[in-house]
Amino acid sequence: MWNDLTLDETRRLAARAGLTQLTDEHLQQLLQATQTAKARCAALPTDKLTPADEPAHILRLNRHDDR
Amino acid sequence: MNDLAYLTVAAAADLLRSKKLSPVEYTSALIARVEKYDSKLNAFLRFTPEIAMQDARRAEAEIARGEWRGPLHGVPYGLKDIVDYAGLPTTAHSKILADNVATADAAVTQKLRAAGGVFMGKLSTHEFATGGPCFDLPWPPARNPWNRDHFPGGSSSGSGAATAAGFVPATIGSDTAGSIRNPATMCGIVGMKGTYGLVSRRGVFPLAYSLDHVGPLTRTIRDNALMLDLIAGHDALDPGSANTAVGGYSSSLEQGVKGLRIGVIRHFYTRDMEGDPEMVNGIENALKLLVDLGASLQEIETAPLAEYAACARTILSSEAYTIHEKWLQERPGDYANLTRERFLSGALLSAADYLNATRVRAKLTNTFHAHYSDVDAVITASALDPACRIDDPDEINRTYARQARTPFNVTGSPALSVPVGFSTNGMPLGMQIIGKPFTEALLYRIGHAYEQAAKWTDKHPNLT
Repeated sequence: MWNDLTLDETRRLAARAGLTQLTDEHLQQLLQATQTAKARCAALPTDKLTPADEPAHILRLNRHDDR
Repeated sequence: MNDLAYLTVAAAADLLRSKKLSPVEYTSALIARVEKYDSKLNAFLRFTPEIAMQDARRAEAEIARGEWRGPLHGVPYGLKDIVDYAGLPTTAHSKILADNVATADAAVTQKLRAAGGVFMGKLSTHEFATGGPCFDLPWPPARNPWNRDHFPGGSSSGSGAATAAGFVPATIGSDTAGSIRNPATMCGIVGMKGTYGLVSRRGVFPLAYSLDHVGPLTRTIRDNALMLDLIAGHDALDPGSANTAVGGYSSSLEQGVKGLRIGVIRHFYTRDMEGDPEMVNGIENALKLLVDLGASLQEIETAPLAEYAACARTILSSEAYTIHEKWLQERPGDYANLTRERFLSGALLSAADYLNATRVRAKLTNTFHAHYSDVDAVITASALDPACRIDDPDEINRTYARQARTPFNVTGSPALSVPVGFSTNGMPLGMQIIGKPFTEALLYRIGHAYEQAAKWTDKHPNLT
């Protein structure tokens, strides 16, 4: 899907993301950057993850000191 | 002047404490050197000789009264211009923050000022500590002191250049995907990215919250350890700060490497990517020297570089976009071309993309740390190539990604960049020493043993 992204589609997605000030040159950058970023995501070894594999950063709370 | 330019922090401290050198004399010499040479190197974005002389005069008076504060007292230092110094702009080398005057010191600045350091100014960076050298910003990019036509590494480019050029003996940089270790390697100096959370990030403009580290760049291992002794420590106002015992980095340097088991990740620079032969040779020669000094080597295998890179870049893009979203919406034209493209890469990533990267991160980290049941520390490449020309964007783009530093931002491990010699065209070579969380003292011990035997620190760039 992302490899077939067009400039018009990029413009529409950018507008939905509030990126309404981008010039055509900027939109071309967004298109290329998105394709690269999505390719990286596709390269993540997610097939090795199980549902129990949690994100690296999980909220930790400190014990309250009631003294 | 050259003698004072290349004084180490440790040597300067001895001379200053014993009143054989005056902080005013020392600072004046380094100010003259910056004034003479920095127009060729652009290491300083904002040079502050007036503040430096005030600090030097104060240090001189205090030392004269017998009130020596420690090894940085009366010693000049510089800060990457994403680190706040109260009353001065923190620009991040960007038009976006050109008028952003800091109202308070960063935590690291507070510590260096309290230690009596002499503040020389704010140092160049890649815009917002990302991207590469850009020529479409309000300030020019820093250049490499070993050859000013070459790239000094980054993003702590001014920190690397200023330290290697003998403008100051110590600087502070930041490292989100290798930005302390890259300029350290490219400029032939020492750079430490400590364990995630070891040094407070309060008052340092963020790039990616979960990957950002702050650390020192110096010309020797001992100086680096002295600096880390000063800046490490828990800070309740930094949510990522680790509440753990710190210090003692400079006190165990002389223990040597005899009996230490060192893992070597060769596949990063031989199979995953093929390193430049001179860089590989420099690392292999360093490994042989460590064996001669009594260490044993064991090759270890971890995940491919590409997996670490995919994980780090997805997290970095997502976190950086959250920081820059409003400016990208309202004033995208105020970024350098390269920086805008880097930050836009996070605009259309999904929550699932980000969370999957952080789930992979946990796996990669646990797997990597399991190796430490067999070894005490690990050595691998930092950069896979020596510094290329700064005016060749294709070559910068190609070599920027050819590195083995990002894995240790993913794992949060301490990682030390150490010089291992020079290429045939005179550009520095380097390697990384990596350890278990909070084992910075051991990494310095290994680096110091190697440095004492290899003696690369005796060589300095010729700035004329």
